Amino acid sequence: MASDELDNEVTAESDMLLPGSETVFYGLLAEYDSPGALLQAAEQVRDAGYEKWDCHAPYPVHGLDPAMGIRSTILPVLVFAGGITGTATAILMQWWMNARAWQWVASGKPYFSVAQQIPIAFELTVLFSAFTAFWGMWFLNKLPQVWHPLFRKKRFLKASSNGFFISVESQDPSFRRADTEKLLREAGAVAVEEVSYTTSPEQRNVPRPLLGFILLTTVLALVPFAFIAKYRTTHSDKPHFYIVGDMDFQQKRRPQSESDVFADSRADRVGVAGTVARGELKEDDHFYRGLVDGEWATTFPPQLEISERRMREGEERFQIYCTPCHGQAAAGNGMIHQRAMAVGAGATGWVQPLNLVDTTAQLNVVRQPHGQIFNTISNGIRTMPGYKSQIPEMDRWKIVLYLRAIQRSRNASIEDVPPSKRPALR
Amino acid sequence: MSSFESAISSHDPPDRLTLGPAALRLKGLGLAVGVVCMAVAIVWGLAIGDDMRRFFHSYLLAFTYFLSIALGALFYVVIHHLVSATWSVVFRRLAEIITGAFPALFVLMLGLVLPILAGSHSLFLWTDSDVVAHDHVLLVKQSYLNAPFFAVRMLIYFAVWMWMSRYFMKRSVQQDETGDVALSNRLRRVSGPAMIAYALTTAWAGFDLLMSLTPHWFSTIFGVYYFAGAAISIYCLLAIFSFALQRSGRMTRTISPEHYHDLGKMANSFTLFWAYIGFSQFMLIWAANIPEETTFFRPRMFTEWKWASLVLIIFHFVVPFVGMMSRHVKRNPPVLAAWAVYMLLLHAFDLFWVIMPAYSPDAIVFHPMDVLCLIGAGGICLFGALSVGGNVKLLAVRDPRLEASIRFINQ
Repeated sequence: MASDELDNEVTAESDMLLPGSETVFYGLLAEYDSPGALLQAAEQVRDAGYEKWDCHAPYPVHGLDPAMGIRSTILPVLVFAGGITGTATAILMQWWMNARAWQWVASGKPYFSVAQQIPIAFELTVLFSAFTAFWGMWFLNKLPQVWHPLFRKKRFLKASSNGFFISVESQDPSFRRADTEKLLREAGAVAVEEVSYTTSPEQRNVPRPLLGFILLTTVLALVPFAFIAKYRTTHSDKPHFYIVGDMDFQQKRRPQSESDVFADSRADRVGVAGTVARGELKEDDHFYRGLVDGEWATTFPPQLEISERRMREGEERFQIYCTPCHGQAAAGNGMIHQRAMAVGAGATGWVQPLNLVDTTAQLNVVRQPHGQIFNTISNGIRTMPGYKSQIPEMDRWKIVLYLRAIQRSRNASIEDVPPSKRPALR
Repeated sequence: MSSFESAISSHDPPDRLTLGPAALRLKGLGLAVGVVCMAVAIVWGLAIGDDMRRFFHSYLLAFTYFLSIALGALFYVVIHHLVSATWSVVFRRLAEIITGAFPALFVLMLGLVLPILAGSHSLFLWTDSDVVAHDHVLLVKQSYLNAPFFAVRMLIYFAVWMWMSRYFMKRSVQQDETGDVALSNRLRRVSGPAMIAYALTTAWAGFDLLMSLTPHWFSTIFGVYYFAGAAISIYCLLAIFSFALQRSGRMTRTISPEHYHDLGKMANSFTLFWAYIGFSQFMLIWAANIPEETTFFRPRMFTEWKWASLVLIIFHFVVPFVGMMSRHVKRNPPVLAAWAVYMLLLHAFDLFWVIMPAYSPDAIVFHPMDVLCLIGAGGICLFGALSVGGNVKLLAVRDPRLEASIRFINQ
């Protein structure tokens, strides 16, 4: 029987006693085969008047608290206190910073104003409540517990997958070795085992690599503070270092500020009709719109270097933006189409994405000029949305380049293969 | 043996799950009180001789108040299906019956819209063509804020609400007979689009009925503010109704403190939500301090109305939020019901604070007509809701999740 084997194993373990240590009998561990059995057994153990005992289940079992006779937790009260502390901290902090230590007028508001305080007070209330709930839960549950006598039982591993356990400590005033085991078995236990541990200090030490890691991270975490301390107390001749300079200094006027350019001194102005933002003129029809003399361009714009590297970049973009609908081989059978068919959208007017490589199709994309394909990618067509907001012009052209390559490969004849490579095809 | 186990054991006589003859009595009472109060209010309004201005403001208060409760009930029903909730099954039929008030609210809405169509400009500034002609902002907004379009929008909102409430309730009642699970699945599928339609119509109703009282002002969050009040109201009203029904010996074995606990949680959370939305609206306007945005808050901060604002902050948020925080409060039906009555009164005061500065910007003025209109509209809504749902069972008796809902335990 499995439980006998496990028992033997434990006996073998306890034989390996180190000198100077002794074996301590911790208590009994009983396994139950379902949450329902655990609940019933817990009620019996509770009614028998035990105090030092616990239940172990892989997931929260509803109703276990009353079944174990556990009083409701004090945690909500702690969280409330934490929340109030957060509110008070936030208001005190803002009062100190804005109204005392560094008086600073922001938008003509008073130094101390309740309306200004509330967002911070709200956030700190939530933060402190959450911290109290989280750490309070750890504290009340005596976590983290890196060592516990039960961890030495192989059977107890199941407490994190599919085992339901009750452990009763021998320290309990009601504990009688035989009576307790009888109680646990009669409550429906599938197995009852003894748990014991040794007092050998070596077995309870924290592993050395873990200690080293904690030490190292602690030291490294202090480095930034050391730098801050240094720069707070020393002087420097060098100019201020701006991490994002063009965000700190922007070429613009703030709303409702003054300007000495205009007679009425107002910085807020309606743009002059036809104003074009810097770098947004886009007058190159070929590159930006795929047009040459008002017709779809049949050539690539000179800005695009025709090379394998650019085509590979186009492939990457194609994989990101086009394959979900059009598929890896541009045959119009991407995952979205397959998914739509799987859920039965075919019956409700689903339109299959276009096959981009089929020369026999009514809509023959292979015949379309480069510029027209570029335009379709930019502005969309039928149910396909435009992609000009996501994909820059150059990348759209690279996609066209890559698409041309697939179209050619899908409609290739033997003449397209270099004569030297032809024998390999046979 | 816990309470729910005894609830489903069959030794006791079956639970009472209908209003029975009480429905007829309540309906008659609602109609009588409603019509009398409304008639007195109208006569009083005419007697003052201010072109019914005071009356229409009171009437709008009463109308938007009960509309918000019905909208809250509709929200309860739709969100229940949308998230396939379990705990809320035991209350859902009550919410469905409350949504039965929409036809009555439609009639009340006509009392508001027909005078406007007939040329009355006692309520909204933008209905007065003389004012609009000399006001640039109103002139520009005229394409939206004009009487015919206002009426059309109201018709659209009510078409959506009446259709939705009928659709959900009809199938729910049908399930009482058939027990067909497909009905639940169908309502779940419909609930997604229904929630979108609900959100849009509720927000816009808030803009049209309340925000347009201050027509120069605008706040995109205003619709959500109106909704927040609606959501608080329904959870409070359900707590009150459940408590009253249980006192009268109905639903005694289906609704437990666990369910009251959840109603309390929702009411408490939405109280915070209300404050959060109200403050978000205020803080941005306060911080930016731009003239065109401050018109709404100016009277409410710098005249007698500032006391009303303070009352709202303290008694609509701080006091109930802390008061309803404890689980012991939420799990005690009489105490929770008392808090619910309190919140419903404060919700009326919230709408009073939204509406009345448009009538009297400098001073807080109560008038008995406010109360008469509220009681009148309430009676008519009670009559309306019971005419639609007075005879159905108070519990969705064959809902597939009913048993799980009855057994539900907070942990």
